[in-house]
Amino acid sequence: MAAGAAEAAVAAVEEVGSAGQFEELLRLKAKSLLVVHFWAPWAPQCAQMNEVMAELAKELPQVSFVKLEAEGVPEVSEKYEISSVPTFLFFKNSQKIDRLDGAHAPELTKKVQRHASSGSFLPSANEHLKEDLNLRLKKLTHAAPCMLFMKGTPQEPRCGFSKQMVEILHKHNIQFSSFDIFSDEEVRQGLKAYSSWPTYPQLYVSGELIGGLDIIKELEASEELDTICPKAPKLEERLKVLTNKASVMLFMKGNKQEAKCGFSKQILEILNSTGVEYETFDILEDEEELKENGELLPILRGEN
Amino acid sequence: MELSAEYLREKLQRDLEAEHVEDTTLNRCSCSFRVLVVSAKFEGKPLLQRHRLVNACLAEELPHIHAFEQKTLTPDQWARERQK
Repeated sequence: MAAGAAEAAVAAVEEVGSAGQFEELLRLKAKSLLVVHFWAPWAPQCAQMNEVMAELAKELPQVSFVKLEAEGVPEVSEKYEISSVPTFLFFKNSQKIDRLDGAHAPELTKKVQRHASSGSFLPSANEHLKEDLNLRLKKLTHAAPCMLFMKGTPQEPRCGFSKQMVEILHKHNIQFSSFDIFSDEEVRQGLKAYSSWPTYPQLYVSGELIGGLDIIKELEASEELDTICPKAPKLEERLKVLTNKASVMLFMKGNKQEAKCGFSKQILEILNSTGVEYETFDILEDEEELKENGELLPILRGEN
Repeated sequence: MELSAEYLREKLQRDLEAEHVEDTTLNRCSCSFRVLVVSAKFEGKPLLQRHRLVNACLAEELPHIHAFEQKTLTPDQWARERQK
């Protein structure tokens, strides 16, 4: 590569050309943080990210940066399930500790800085990290009475099985919170080991693994699902309770202290001037109320 | 790493001493596998434990199967299902 003297200055990002070379590198660089950029020459974002990496390499000489043409070394790409470029993998002690899919320069910088500064590589440090992870997973699985670890979100599931799982939970009016395992590689891999369960989606109740889609389907068929999972209170019930909360209830945008729309503000002023006692409900806080209240109003009126 | 449906079927049959193992995969995607396993070893075990037995049997192969679905029945349950 004779392009000129200027090249020599930033030759910081080495190219890995084979699976063998990659294995060698993992061993050699076990003592430091290794960042691997899976790239392709036809993707312009990769060229940009290479520049970002070169800058980071200058700032953090103790970190090793390499790049690997994803399509040129398929065994490695497949092993780490590289499905798009650019993708970055982070290694310490020959172990993959993190991953970044996509050309997010600030995110890459953040992750590199975080992993580069996280302490020594003594075995005790490793144990410490494992303990922290287990604690974190324990907290996550207990984050709500019913927790779903899935690919994507309930609004936008990113796999057929996760989508089906969400549909079943909604069909049975089950109240649950969810976690997108694509958003956190550490949790994605850690949870599989924590629960000895190899796949997603995973449903937990009171911190205990109930199972995957197959099991939920069978529980649905045997009608046990309703006894195991907590239900969301029916909207009608909620509305009945809410509208009866005080003898005068105002459903508005915002609250008594801060109206969030002109009409709500006016109605507050009117009510305040009458001296009537009333309570408020902020419909901006609850999507369901906003849409459903109008439809159920005739029913509620009928009951009064 | 052998991943043919036949290989998986036979492994399950052997390790779980299964009465019946059926490959019920719908789309012929090479990396998906859907199976029905009927075995006395499932007697008295809740669903999660049964699935864990199957997962353990295919521990090596599972990471390479992109989409895996399983149904586990005891011989009695299976007999009853077939009568429907």
